[in-house]
Amino acid sequence: MHELGIARDILDIAVAEAEKHGGCRITRVDLEVGVLRGVVPENLAFLFGHVAMGTIAEGARLAIEEQPARVACEACGPVEARGFTIACPACGSPAVKVEGGDALRILSIDIDDSLPAREA
Amino acid sequence: MKVDIERQIQQSAEETAGKIRDLLAARKVFAVNLISSPGSGKTTLIESAIEALRGKKRVSVVEGDIETDIDAARIRKHGVQVHQINTRSSCHVPPFLLLSALDHIDLDATDLLFVENVGNLVCPAEVPLGEDLRVVALSVAEGDEKPLKYPLVFKTSDILVITKTDLLPYVKFDPGRVKAAARAVNPRVEIFEVSAVTGSGISSFLERIEELCGRKTG
Repeated sequence: MHELGIARDILDIAVAEAEKHGGCRITRVDLEVGVLRGVVPENLAFLFGHVAMGTIAEGARLAIEEQPARVACEACGPVEARGFTIACPACGSPAVKVEGGDALRILSIDIDDSLPAREA
Repeated sequence: MKVDIERQIQQSAEETAGKIRDLLAARKVFAVNLISSPGSGKTTLIESAIEALRGKKRVSVVEGDIETDIDAARIRKHGVQVHQINTRSSCHVPPFLLLSALDHIDLDATDLLFVENVGNLVCPAEVPLGEDLRVVALSVAEGDEKPLKYPLVFKTSDILVITKTDLLPYVKFDPGRVKAAARAVNPRVEIFEVSAVTGSGISSFLERIEELCGRKTG
């Protein structure tokens, strides 16, 4: 949900960062998105493409790295899960605690500094 | 050229929620974020709480709706502080609107603050409001598979209140099935079954709220 707001925030951060480097065209944005965030990657990529139109990020590829949910199982130790299940994916025990999987971070951007900076 | 950024997106919602949490801690106010589909009985639950806790806890209410102050008018009749938020296009109460709504509530005269979120099982689940307790309500008319279909709200809630249990003879709803589904996504969830019409289960739910509130406000 709320991929549009997230896409706008990504664009703002990416453009501000690229402007620090001369306002070169952004070719790629790398993100880390936890599965517990409920973000649909295809929606986010589509909406990012839409909000980026007419900016230095137009046409940039949104590369989304999904962060799995991390659960701590009393028997198995730390295990990764793909979604909301609370049973241990390895042994099926319900004695687990969800410890991570809600990241929503912009990791880096790629800028093409071989091209001249575009006039806004 | 790769430029490392390593920055949290949408930090501002979490930061604002943190400000709300700090404000409520300083004023010793226990806040409940009440979430459900439209029509599950959130406002009725709050009305029951106001009446049951009268003289024990000073209750204030922030009402969230897309439009109108119908709910605030209902709450106001019970003689407690209430402020209505109209979110217009937003399908949930965002933390910045709650923070400004709290300017209209005398927090020093409040022990227990109910925030009635916009009727929606999806978006409010993702938005922290700095609350002490998250309560999700589900009426028996909505079906018993909702925790599996909308897992995030059930996963992030401390309490599930099954409402309108007086309608059980007329609807296809298996309380055992909904409890199992809720516990599958959130094994620590506390579950209460209530009917505002018959009064069944209301007092045990509100005793629990009172107990949790008392731990913070004394």
